[in-house]
Amino acid sequence: MEVETIVTEKKELYTPTISEIVAVETLTETEKLFEIALPGGEMLNHKPGQFVEVSIFGFGEAPISICSSPTDLPTFKLTVRRVGRLTAGMHRLKEGDRLGIRGPFGNGFDVEAFKGRDVLFVAGGIGLAPLKSLIDYTLAKRDEFRRVIIVYGTKNPAEILFKQDIEIWQQDRDIEFHMTVDRADAGWQGNTGVITTLIPGLNLDAPETAVAVVGPPVMYKFVLMSLKSKRIPDENIFMSLERRMKCGVGKCGHCQINSVYVCQCGPVFNYPFVRSLEEAI
Amino acid sequence: MNQNNFTSLRQLKKVFFDERTTRGFISFLSDRAKVIAPCKKGENSYSFEYIQNPDEVVFDYPRTIQPLKKFFLPPRETLFNFNTRENSFSEPDIESEDRIFFGVHAYELQGLLRLDHCFEEGHPEYNYLRRRENTLFIGISYTPDDWHFSRSVGIEIEKLEGFCLYFEPLDSGFLVFIVNEAGKNLVELFGKGAEIDNDENFALVEKNFRVKIKFHHNRLPQVFENVYYSKVWEEISRKCLGCGTCNLLCPTCYCFDVRDEIELDATTGKRERFWDGCMLNSFALVAGGENFRDPLSSRTRHRLHRKFKYLADSAGDLFCVGCGRCSKYCPAKINIIDIINDLIGDFAGQQKRVLI
Repeated sequence: MEVETIVTEKKELYTPTISEIVAVETLTETEKLFEIALPGGEMLNHKPGQFVEVSIFGFGEAPISICSSPTDLPTFKLTVRRVGRLTAGMHRLKEGDRLGIRGPFGNGFDVEAFKGRDVLFVAGGIGLAPLKSLIDYTLAKRDEFRRVIIVYGTKNPAEILFKQDIEIWQQDRDIEFHMTVDRADAGWQGNTGVITTLIPGLNLDAPETAVAVVGPPVMYKFVLMSLKSKRIPDENIFMSLERRMKCGVGKCGHCQINSVYVCQCGPVFNYPFVRSLEEAI
Repeated sequence: MNQNNFTSLRQLKKVFFDERTTRGFISFLSDRAKVIAPCKKGENSYSFEYIQNPDEVVFDYPRTIQPLKKFFLPPRETLFNFNTRENSFSEPDIESEDRIFFGVHAYELQGLLRLDHCFEEGHPEYNYLRRRENTLFIGISYTPDDWHFSRSVGIEIEKLEGFCLYFEPLDSGFLVFIVNEAGKNLVELFGKGAEIDNDENFALVEKNFRVKIKFHHNRLPQVFENVYYSKVWEEISRKCLGCGTCNLLCPTCYCFDVRDEIELDATTGKRERFWDGCMLNSFALVAGGENFRDPLSSRTRHRLHRKFKYLADSAGDLFCVGCGRCSKYCPAKINIIDIINDLIGDFAGQQKRVLI
């Protein structure tokens, strides 16, 4: 049959790269930290804020944010909360076990927008995980940024992630670290209250402060209001939005917010753009 | 009306096939490729099927239940087979076989061309595009019924884009219009049928296609831009069952989910991709329990904004082709034409208020 035909180049969109878990650390009752190596010493070459699709054959596949900085080579790290089928499967894996990786996907944070400025990180709960890729990047290139301010809130002290890092951040005089829990327990000495209670007290150079916000959906509205009252310009605010990024390549439709595929244009968005998306927050 | 397509049809070379010759032609095609054509399914329903015998083919049908997408994006498809013990996987071959689709309506092929756009852009998808290789489409005219409204979304009955041949029924057979080289080759190889002079006169009658949407189709993206908060969405959601039938039957719906199926040996299995639909409640649900598009009204709004705004903006064409399937087969009897006209009413009302 002589026909004009579509010529198809085969590109692997849906097949994973089998990678090895080189370390597992238990962070909390529900969160574990996995350090993963691609085969043959290959680098993931990700940007802070990007994600990978993790799969275990028989359990399926799910998007997970990368929580390590690209400066932290040659492996990468994922913080995984046990919430579904795949993550429950992951929690049973040990050092030396293997899993499938696709990616990295998404846009990641535009680090240039943060360089030379004061940087404010606002992390709610597990939102600290994706943000940590940018925090670690900032700390690795500390000279390229001005003040580093980290604001972190969790529901209760038991849910605090990265305790060792936090200790270092608290002691480092080059980092301003503030933390709160919604509900304290008997041993808690620090602040109590939702994360927005920490923002009014910050002394900020508003026009020269770039903000990265990651947290549960309900948090954004209130954090954005607090930032607004600190006179932070909208275009200085970046946020990472959670959605069901099933395929990672802009086909399956699950992560769509209005016309936008989060896996392609996100998950990191600049606030003025988010305002134009009715469904975003 | 229909000036452009109808005129261009008149200018094409054509031959005449009586019905017997037409069935002979289908037989001839079957010797060269797999032939897919509309066949009778139930009392009043039709389906595109691989045909064994030219007599199965139905020439006059309103629409098939399923659009053509099932031949390119199968309802279930194995992405790869895996072995959990060895952590290995292998992809099945996707054979690209010669396929000829006979008796396709214009809106149907337009739907498929829109799917092509979605699978070609960004990250081109091999599985779909591989199945699109080596395919030919032979069009046929039809008489619009109450559900068709493709003319109202800019697709005329005689829209020839993508066809190699186009069959126009006459009382005693078909005028076969030769649209491109591939079509010409087929007709020449077949070697039957009476050639017809271009200035010969026929009773080529334009079919009646009532305009069903109140605005010109070019204005619909603008309407959708302004009706995001319309009460119409809430009104539909009171009737809608959220069953996803409209997603399944839509020629331009292609969203999918992926799931692992494991055998009883707990070692081998496959990762499968299957059709999903944005009208289903779990579509935007994430593992933590957050559902980003929970209310039925917001799901309907999303589905229709995809058709008339989001994809229309990025691809340049409306993603509704007016086949009428979503309305005809809706168990809640929701009619998309009514929805669009209600939205237009809402939009026009806003404009009026502004003018006052």
